[in-house]
Amino acid sequence: MAESRTSSVSVGNPVKPGTLVRVALRLLWRDWRGGELRLLLLAMIMAVTSVSGIALFTDRLERALLQESANMLAADRVMSTREPPPRELLTEAQSMGLATAEYIAFASMAFSDQDNLLVSVKAVSDAYPLRGSLQVADQVFGAPYVSGQGGPSRGEVWVESRVFSGLDIDVGDNVYVGESEFTVTRVLVLEPDRQQGGMMDNAGPRLLMHLDDVPETNVIQAGSRASYRYLFAGDQRALDAYTSWVRNQYDGLYRLRDVRDESAEVSEALSRGESFLMLGSLFAVLLAGVAIALTARRYSERHFDYAAILKTLGCTSNQISVIYFCILFVLLVLAVAVGSALGWLLHEGILRMLRSVIPIDLPSASGMPFVVGALTALICLFAFALPPLLALKHTSPLRVLRKDIGDAPLSTALPYVFGIVGGLSLILWYSQDLLITGILVAGVLSVAAVLSVLSYVLLRSGTAAGMRAGSAWMLAMSAVRRRRRQSVLQVLVFSLTIMCLLTLGLLRTDLIADWQAQLPENTPNHFLMNINNDQLDGMQNYFDRNNLQANPFYPMMSAGLLQVNGAPAPLPWDNDRPGAPSSVTERSAGEPEPGLGAEAAADSVGEGEMPRRVENRQVTYTGQLPPDNEIVAGSWWANDNRPNEVSVELDYAQRLGLQLGDELVFRLGQDEVTVNVTSFRTVRWDNMQPNFFFIFSPGTLEFIGATYLSTLLLEGEQKMLLNDLLRQYPTIVVLEVDALIEQIQTIIAQVSSAVELIAVLVLVAGALVLLSCVNATLDERFRENAILRTLGAGRKLIMSSLLIEFAFIGMLAGVIATLGAEVSVYYLQVEVFQQEFFPHYWVWFAGPVAGTLIIAGLGVGATRRVVNTSPLAVLRHLSG
Amino acid sequence: MASMVEARHLSKRVSTSEGELVILNDINLSIAAAETVAIVGASGSGKSTLLGLMAGLDGASGGDMLLDGHNLSTMDEEQRAQLRGQSVGFVFQSFQLLPSLTALENVMLPIELKNDRNARQKAAQLLQRVGLESRVTHYPNQLSGGEQQRVAIARAFASEAKILFADEPTGNLDTTTGAKVIDLLFSLNKEYGTTLVLVTHDDRLAQRCRRIIRLVAGEITEDSAIAEDSITGEAVHG
Ligand SMILES: Nc1ncnc2c1ncn2[C@@H]1O[C@H](COP(=O)(O)OP(=O)(O)OP(=O)(O)O)[C@@H](O)[C@H]1O
Ligand SMILES: [Mg+2]
Repeated sequence: MAESRTSSVSVGNPVKPGTLVRVALRLLWRDWRGGELRLLLLAMIMAVTSVSGIALFTDRLERALLQESANMLAADRVMSTREPPPRELLTEAQSMGLATAEYIAFASMAFSDQDNLLVSVKAVSDAYPLRGSLQVADQVFGAPYVSGQGGPSRGEVWVESRVFSGLDIDVGDNVYVGESEFTVTRVLVLEPDRQQGGMMDNAGPRLLMHLDDVPETNVIQAGSRASYRYLFAGDQRALDAYTSWVRNQYDGLYRLRDVRDESAEVSEALSRGESFLMLGSLFAVLLAGVAIALTARRYSERHFDYAAILKTLGCTSNQISVIYFCILFVLLVLAVAVGSALGWLLHEGILRMLRSVIPIDLPSASGMPFVVGALTALICLFAFALPPLLALKHTSPLRVLRKDIGDAPLSTALPYVFGIVGGLSLILWYSQDLLITGILVAGVLSVAAVLSVLSYVLLRSGTAAGMRAGSAWMLAMSAVRRRRRQSVLQVLVFSLTIMCLLTLGLLRTDLIADWQAQLPENTPNHFLMNINNDQLDGMQNYFDRNNLQANPFYPMMSAGLLQVNGAPAPLPWDNDRPGAPSSVTERSAGEPEPGLGAEAAADSVGEGEMPRRVENRQVTYTGQLPPDNEIVAGSWWANDNRPNEVSVELDYAQRLGLQLGDELVFRLGQDEVTVNVTSFRTVRWDNMQPNFFFIFSPGTLEFIGATYLSTLLLEGEQKMLLNDLLRQYPTIVVLEVDALIEQIQTIIAQVSSAVELIAVLVLVAGALVLLSCVNATLDERFRENAILRTLGAGRKLIMSSLLIEFAFIGMLAGVIATLGAEVSVYYLQVEVFQQEFFPHYWVWFAGPVAGTLIIAGLGVGATRRVVNTSPLAVLRHLSG
Repeated sequence: MASMVEARHLSKRVSTSEGELVILNDINLSIAAAETVAIVGASGSGKSTLLGLMAGLDGASGGDMLLDGHNLSTMDEEQRAQLRGQSVGFVFQSFQLLPSLTALENVMLPIELKNDRNARQKAAQLLQRVGLESRVTHYPNQLSGGEQQRVAIARAFASEAKILFADEPTGNLDTTTGAKVIDLLFSLNKEYGTTLVLVTHDDRLAQRCRRIIRLVAGEITEDSAIAEDSITGEAVHG
């Protein structure tokens, strides 16, 4: 008998990695040919395809929308002031690599040999516009084309069509502005940033001239009202660097603004669209993740025997890990390659489909969507596929002798922990939003909780009912009960899938409906301002005569809040905060100039005291609550006689820290008024209607002279009436916001078509989950049904029991999904999109019915083979 | 002669819901190289468990188990796996071929795991040796049970193992097929000079081994060598 050698002695050459890779590739190839891996790879490709496809699409769409909104500024950032800002601001920007342009806007009279007209002059530098383009025509109502050169050359002006009729001139005639003479060379059809700027910038039809011609006109002198704008464009990093340089250098005196600061209306439409697209792709990825988890689990279950046999042949646990890691890696590479290519095709297909709705040329995509797709695949793989496959290394080789050994590893918590962590990080990564993540997680958890109770109850009662019904029912119910854990899992997966689909469907309908409600067909597209008290009747007559639908006249005046309960009023928005809502009213009033935040006037309150900043706001008084305003606290005066009261917009009141009953002192011109806060209102800033932070009760401000504001809808030819109106009432100011409204509507149309498409993608991902879920039980079904058939059960009986089983599970999933979807939609709408929620009764019918039909159809479709294969073939296949 | 397998006071206990169950108790045996040994006993007597312990598929609860001079009880699963790859071959009642690999690939696998470049050639030769040269590209589910077991035998010898463990290799086969498979096993065994440990409750099969170890309720009750001349007639393999 030999002495035992110490076990540390090497027992032979270790297996080379190359050999393991070869074995792995061989297994992979066979499994692929045998169809084992197809569904797993398909699920991964689906994840990559939908993510990279959607990411490509949204990336390009977002760039397009950003570009378009940059067009609305004619730049990426603007800075505007009342005084000429230091040149250093421009030179520094140039040295940081930014493109710059500038213009001055002012109101002036323009003269021709025949007539005169108040025009709003815009004198632009050569580089204007930095973003977007000027559209011009060679004659009035001629075909518009894009001006190749930017603005007009020196000595020339381009004017809007209304100027031609107003001054009774033609292209080639001369006009006079101040002391200079100009030749009209083109018709100005569209400037990208037409609606930007204050009232005086837009006080009449546009006349565009060269910046260098301004001094000779002698129109701008000390004290004249002009607005100066510097425009900047460049890449994000340079913009950020410049922004912080300005902030440090000028301590809030000058501020760069982007389109979101400039227009609440556009930024709302954009950010809602983005949230929605993000949510859609998130759903698609999560569904694909579930499919991956299911197929990977099935794959690894089938490979327990492999692992055990490999171990008896001398593979160590680590080598088995290497083998399966190789397989996963190859799958990952394949999925990323194929998925990215398909994603590209997908987004190209989408764009082709939407060519008619997305008229703008999309900028080309960045590489980011592909990175996002690959990363998603990686996360999905690690979270959903790796744990079950790594469990293989723990398979006991003893399994070759005793079958019952080695099933244990999958029941450990690890795959669930991985799955949950992976899912959470995906949600968080995509939404970048804790709230949405929380809502989704809560949704899933509550579905799971409801599910366990419901499935218990329903599975039991269903089973009991089955006892009384025919034998197909009995078979089906005992199948459901036998596979109880799988049945619950299936119901969970199906209901989550259907829930995602329903949520998306409901949100989409509501969002689009809401957007359409936001800017209804007859939204007024012109603001009339600076109307005197004694012009009111005449104007109303004019509107009636010309069949124009005018809205109420709001008295408007500028008021500064001096005191709150005897103490000096705080400033609600400090200069670094771009959060102030900016409605058409506030912007058009021209007073709070965007570049300086709300107008902060140095104001000496008394001798010896320090000057103090007071914020002036446009205010009004009315007995009638304006449309889209809602009282949320206190009471509206309606037609009661309650002078000296004020109603404050809710956000503004919160920033000022106001309470109902507070006593406020306002200064209006030379007068001071004291009022009590009696209500708070919410206001829709994006409805393109006059909106006010402060509304006073009738009987408070009447003694102070006010000008009036109204809105008007002018379409097509009606626009020419403006000249006529302005001739009769030369002092009024008209603000044309039709271009802005058109822009918003374009964005809405684009976003909603994108949204529809994403719903389709989620549907495909959902179907994939359903398929892999059914497939997960296929082996067992094959075996069972082969045995049943050898025992004499007919095809018909087995078919109908399958049908009943899937229909039952589908109905259960449908009910739970409907519940979950309504809850999620409620939270998403109320918390994320800040909309109202209405229950959707039709869903309560459609959800369960769709669940039943879809699951029964898919399930029976996928298990048809089970019945149609001969029992012998089945038993033979399974024993091999 | 150096012993290939040696058990010293080997025992195996498992805890079940009804308390501790002793499957094997104080097993002592030594098997020399090139010996052929049959382990017989009633169903449930612990034959498969003993085989698993001897082959290092499982760890013992007490005592020492030596395989080819290595003390299995001091080795971890990784080392035992390496030892298996190097020195041990298996034939199982349920064949245990990898269903997604062809017959040829199944036989190639252990050769490949030894980093042998001539895997394909060697595997093809072995398949020819077991009479399956026409079935090399077939998958296990395309083969009959006897054919599958012949592939399994070819695989077992492919790794050039020093010792072969077989757990009821004919258990799933009819008598005639079983006899053919056994002939094959013994003739290959003779060619390669392998140590063979065979679990069976087929007495005729047991009679073909040089030594019979009988298990009753986890204990060895008989360990008898059989005289050379009394070994039942070995059919000459064609
Ligand atoms: N892990 C385990 N847990 C519980 N009981 C076990 C375990 N392993 C083996 N046994 C029991 O130990 C006894 C011996 O099992 P073993 O498989 O070794 O028997 P066997 O002699 O091979 O029987 P057969 O001839 O039927 O294959 C059996 O009663 C078996 O149920
Ligand atoms: Mg046994």
